[in-house]
Amino acid sequence: MIGTTPTSLRPSVPPSLPPSLPPSLPPSLPQPRAHSRTLRRLLANPVVALAAGFLVLITLAAILVPLVSPFDPYETTLRLRLKPPGGDWLLGTDTQGRDLLTRLLYGTRTTLLLGFTGVIFGTLLGGGIGILAAFYRRLDGPLMRLIDVFLSFPSILFGLSLAAVLGPGLDSLILAIGLSVMPGIARIARGAAASVMAQEYMDGGRVIGLPDRILMTRYLLANCAAPILVYVTLAFGDAVLLAASLGFLGLGLQPPMAELGSIAAEGRSFLFIAPHVSTAASALIFCIVLSFNLLGDAFRDAADKRFT
Amino acid sequence: MIGRLLHRLMTSFLVLVGVLWIGFMMLQVLPADPAAAIAGSTGTDAEIEAIRRHLGLDQPLVWQFWIYLQRVAVGDFGRSVINNAPVAGELLRAAGPTLELMLASMAWAVPSGLLLGAFAATRRGGVIDRLVMAISVAGVSVPVFWVGLLMIQFAAATRLFPIQGRGGPLWTAEGLSHIVLPATALGLILIGPVARMTRTALADTLSADYVRTARAKGASELRVVAGHAMRTAWLPIVTLLGLQVGTLMGGAVVTETIFSWPGVGRLAVGAIVSSDYPLAQGAILFLATAFIVVNIVVDLLYGVLDPRVRRSA
Repeated sequence: MIGTTPTSLRPSVPPSLPPSLPPSLPPSLPQPRAHSRTLRRLLANPVVALAAGFLVLITLAAILVPLVSPFDPYETTLRLRLKPPGGDWLLGTDTQGRDLLTRLLYGTRTTLLLGFTGVIFGTLLGGGIGILAAFYRRLDGPLMRLIDVFLSFPSILFGLSLAAVLGPGLDSLILAIGLSVMPGIARIARGAAASVMAQEYMDGGRVIGLPDRILMTRYLLANCAAPILVYVTLAFGDAVLLAASLGFLGLGLQPPMAELGSIAAEGRSFLFIAPHVSTAASALIFCIVLSFNLLGDAFRDAADKRFT
Repeated sequence: MIGRLLHRLMTSFLVLVGVLWIGFMMLQVLPADPAAAIAGSTGTDAEIEAIRRHLGLDQPLVWQFWIYLQRVAVGDFGRSVINNAPVAGELLRAAGPTLELMLASMAWAVPSGLLLGAFAATRRGGVIDRLVMAISVAGVSVPVFWVGLLMIQFAAATRLFPIQGRGGPLWTAEGLSHIVLPATALGLILIGPVARMTRTALADTLSADYVRTARAKGASELRVVAGHAMRTAWLPIVTLLGLQVGTLMGGAVVTETIFSWPGVGRLAVGAIVSSDYPLAQGAILFLATAFIVVNIVVDLLYGVLDPRVRRSA
């Protein structure tokens, strides 16, 4: 679903949380044992294991599809269009006679890559803003007010406006995803960074005369990377959903590019004679987003337990 | 309270200016030179120059923005490039159906969500509780268009409800039957978040001292939940509902497109696809402004619902 729900549903990490490391430890010391233990406990949960397994599988399939699939994702054969699943084509053929499974995997490739780029962009932007706000107290008020504004704004409106200004396509999609992910990340980063700021090693670093740049990256950022990464997983689901919804509306990537949302839209005109096209594409989007959300929820629960 | 409200209004005002700037920029990307277009094929350079000066196109961008603000303030959003109809008129025609659709979906989804959430909170770990959690995570993960497409398939198979367009006012049988599918699809994305939020809010208050006191006095379970615990739980729920308007709006854009519902969302998507910039600008401006206004109203409600907010600063 597009919009603000997921961010608003997920309780943010309160700024008063104790940091992930005890104060006596030097900053950014890796904690391999604690992490692997958390990871093993997480994977023992069947839901998490299933979600993670599905994501690994679909990502591998999306990467390997050019090597594995005997079908061309772009070559159209109208004579073979809208064949039902089964036979030579595992999931049937699409509206242009292309193998649907191949198209879907190429679509997954685009959609995942799109979500990935957009989320990275939003994370860099949001993480930067959050850390700056925590480090320079003077900036805190204005920056967070700006973030509040973005936080409540419906992400579909970012998508619509950017598609209108820049034209539908790759850059407007990535910008829209980034802008919709950015405020949540900024909030989390600021909360985590504020608690790290109170640590003695921050004062220590300052006392030995380290420049702000080093303090912010090696001391501050390194110690609030974990909560940010948890949130990024959750943001991924939203990003994929936004990309697919805009694609469905015809405001995303333009055909013949394969993208899951636009494949669902193509199948819409043939909903009654060949429902498999829309259904398969939509179901795949649902499974991907659901997996990211389940995984993110589990990460967050585990992190909450570790942080508090 | 007044300080808080002023602060909110200030922020909202700034957002509004930002949104207007985006709307203004949308008109700047018009591919053709508007002055040349008005002068027509027979226009001389001098004429084009005169028209440009008349329209203020030779002025700095900021000044043009100021002129744009003055026009928007009196409800002049320009004319559609496609059919030359005033954008304001198109928006007014589409606003009603969108509002109707959103209210209709809230009318069934909010009470159902509240009820589900309340059940889940009172029986933690039970069947309903687990169902609520499953619905809510599925609800934020499902693409709205899939829900819509499934409903269309279902309706076409059973021939129960019309699948396209608006049938007229809601009080007619025709109008009512047309809104069933879109309102159900749109409401389904709302029910999970509302239930989940109610569950969390109620779970907090159900363990409070005053709830235990109410139980000790022998109040019925219904009275304890609905009368005592719910009163404090309302606050986060109302806040969430305010935020959900954004989600609902996003869902409405997709739902309207799928069911050919003649609302602002479909108008916006159609305008962008056909590069009708003035219309797109008006529709997006309209949606964003509506969203900001609703959030201000929610903030006001917050003060009414919670005496603590009213008294504090």
